Amino acid sequence: MDPQDEEIEVRAPALAVDFVGVSKEYVVSGKPVKALESVTLNVKEGEVAAIVGPSGAGKTTILNIIAGLEKPSQGEAKVLGLDLTVSNEHSLSAFRSANIGFIFQSYNLVSTLTAEENVELMMELAGWSDSGRNEKLTAELISMVGLTDRAKHLPTQLSGGEQQRVAIARAMANDPPLILADEPTGNLDQKTGLEIVKLLSQLKGEKGKTLVVTTHDDRIVEIADVIYRLENGSLESVDRPVRVRN
Amino acid sequence: MEVWRALIGPLGFATRSLRRRGFHSYLAFLGLTLTVATTTFLLLLGQDLATRLGLDSSMRSTFGISWLILAYLVLAMGLIGVVGLLSTSYLVSSMISQRMRDIGVIKAAGALPRRLLSYVTFEAIVVIFSSCLVGALSALLIYASWSWPSPSLFKQVGPVPNAGETVLVVVPGISFLLSYMVVSFRVRRIVRSSSVNAISKQLSDLDLKSLGKPLRIKRLGSSFNLATRNVSRDKAFNRTLLSVGICICLSMIVLSGALVSADTSASYVVRAMPPHVLIVANSNVYRQYVSLGTSFSRTAPVPALDYVNESYIITSQNASMFRVIPGVETVDTRLITMSSITGYVKPHFASNDTGQTINTQIIPEVETGSTQALIVGINATDAVGDWYTSDGFLQSSDSRYTMIAGDSLVGNIVQMPFNLSQISAFGYRYDVKSALVDPLNAGRVLYAPVQAVQRNLGVNGYNVLLLKVNNEPAVLSAVSQLASSYGLVVGSQDPILNSNLAFLSGTWSYIFLIPILSVALTCGILLSYLAANFSCRFNDYIVLKVLGANLSYRVKLLLWESWGVLAISMLIAIPVAWAVSIFFLIPDPSVSVADLELSTIVSASALSGVSVASAAIYSRRLGLTTVKDLKP
Repeated sequence: MDPQDEEIEVRAPALAVDFVGVSKEYVVSGKPVKALESVTLNVKEGEVAAIVGPSGAGKTTILNIIAGLEKPSQGEAKVLGLDLTVSNEHSLSAFRSANIGFIFQSYNLVSTLTAEENVELMMELAGWSDSGRNEKLTAELISMVGLTDRAKHLPTQLSGGEQQRVAIARAMANDPPLILADEPTGNLDQKTGLEIVKLLSQLKGEKGKTLVVTTHDDRIVEIADVIYRLENGSLESVDRPVRVRN
Repeated sequence: MEVWRALIGPLGFATRSLRRRGFHSYLAFLGLTLTVATTTFLLLLGQDLATRLGLDSSMRSTFGISWLILAYLVLAMGLIGVVGLLSTSYLVSSMISQRMRDIGVIKAAGALPRRLLSYVTFEAIVVIFSSCLVGALSALLIYASWSWPSPSLFKQVGPVPNAGETVLVVVPGISFLLSYMVVSFRVRRIVRSSSVNAISKQLSDLDLKSLGKPLRIKRLGSSFNLATRNVSRDKAFNRTLLSVGICICLSMIVLSGALVSADTSASYVVRAMPPHVLIVANSNVYRQYVSLGTSFSRTAPVPALDYVNESYIITSQNASMFRVIPGVETVDTRLITMSSITGYVKPHFASNDTGQTINTQIIPEVETGSTQALIVGINATDAVGDWYTSDGFLQSSDSRYTMIAGDSLVGNIVQMPFNLSQISAFGYRYDVKSALVDPLNAGRVLYAPVQAVQRNLGVNGYNVLLLKVNNEPAVLSAVSQLASSYGLVVGSQDPILNSNLAFLSGTWSYIFLIPILSVALTCGILLSYLAANFSCRFNDYIVLKVLGANLSYRVKLLLWESWGVLAISMLIAIPVAWAVSIFFLIPDPSVSVADLELSTIVSASALSGVSVASAAIYSRRLGLTTVKDLKP
């Protein structure tokens, strides 16, 4: 049985991400290093949460914990109702493939697969075995990101912006309620970055997805519903822009 | 340190680059070292075994068990040499492939072609030289511990002096030269390409031409479909398949060759000394016959005996009485004696074709030497043996001055072609019709029509009877009764046969070290290939893990990738190896399906084990990675 056949039952919570006093400590060269210290984070369903802060502030660590790739050293961490602190590796993999879409700064497409195959792979990982349906959905997603004519190209044949658009289509492939993006415009120029921001706001507006984005890009911060500022692993401030409060 | 590096530019570049590439540099060094060490050790082991078994590489004979073993060892050594060199060139080529992109970037950054060539070549040479050196030293150490306490064997193999030293210098030397040539060719190609090409997709590891519709088998799941695409889109896929396939094929030939040769040599012995045969003779002659029969497997000299002593002779009438005992199928009447013989090559014409003229000259008679040999007078129609012969056994139509020579006489006393060879015995000249494989008197034996031997010795009768019986106890009892009434003793030939077979089996069990290690060498090559490929694609695997591919999916993917290449390689290699083992390896082989199955199962199991182990190791390594390990 394909591992992704195993569905994780997720109830519909009001909070997509619910972190209370989450800390993360690594041991580097025998010495403990605090990456996060008592971070409390509440991202509601359908919100765009921007996590900002200087390099090394702990932004990526938060994304890793939300994705279930790392476990917090302390605190409570619930994502889409699943308590990450008590889940095992197998159930976390199944949870990730069914409920989370990932967008990386460095795109991280599978190098041996074409653009459409990268998207389709995510569906296979989610346990969707109807290849006809998968192909149709892939074509729709590739079209949504404007890459129909580049669908059969390998990542090495695509530009950075095109690769990031494929990554967005891939993040949408398993129709996840939660999308995590780690500095998605970090490697792109102004114009290409803007295209990506538009696509992300499309995900929020048209698709109603919850987005957690780590970024330095003001254009992304502008579309965010809530902005978490991190400094040295601690939460400095939580801002809700005026348009959101209104 | 910095000054030193600046002074020795290429060395500084090489040490920095190798240190920073860490795991990959270590892997390349390890793969090459293992290949050189195993190849060198196997060749040293081969010459060691040849020496221990007393095989003479100057043998001019192409017949008999010794020749069979020597031929196998030479073939195995040759194939192992090819596997070792092929593996070396493949590993070096893979090493350069991993560096291609970096070399391209350095070139595009403006490095002068000559400087870039010298720097990159030097970096590769550091790895190759250290691998060859460490490989040779490791082989020497392993060999020294293996051959202890007789390391003097290192210097001997027949007439080849210092064979071990030669192997120790030649194998690493050729490996180094071959590696240098591969590096030089590959690096020159990159350096000569334009700067744009140097960093373009042309140097990518992926084959952009073969995208097409990939193989999909729904039932085997997503991991299989992904594995086929990963593997088939690798630019080096065909080269890998060919290299791994050839290595598997050659190591399987070495393995199945050993099994077939072992079975064939055993069948030679069984055909010469079939089971369920009773020896009937005077007690002294009986003991002597047992000594002669087991001299193949024992080094003790055969004592002297007056074979034609009157008391040892069994008359024709007495011999014929055994024929009437129910259950006795054949009575092989023999008159054996030890005699001094001299070999000759008859005078003959020899033609020398120069292309324009044909010069014919007369070659006078040549004496080839003298020795003591056992002469067996035999009645051809009643012979219990079914010897493996070069040109058939004695026939009733043969001249009475005809002999069949044992395999140990061939190549020295008896020269090939046999129709020009003669033997002088009892003052008469005998034509040599053929050669046979016989353990009796360790192959120093001549078979002649019994009437001729009786006439020459002035004896009217036989001194040994071999009775082919149906193995029922009543028959043995009846034969024993009759024999004792003539003052003769009876014994089974089976213990002699078993002793010889056990000796052969022991000999081959030593030799089997070579095919087993050659399979291990191929396993090492496969492991290097898998490690190199898994390392190249490791970032993709981390991506999959991050996206939600669980442990089972990852293990299946790695298994499909590793075992898939192996399966395709074996699909090509196995039929070729079987065909070679059956049709081309040795003349008149005794090939059993079990031999071929065993060699296939051993190779497939060992190689599959490597696939599973490497998949498990990389899967475990993958389990320890996080999103932070993704390369930008």
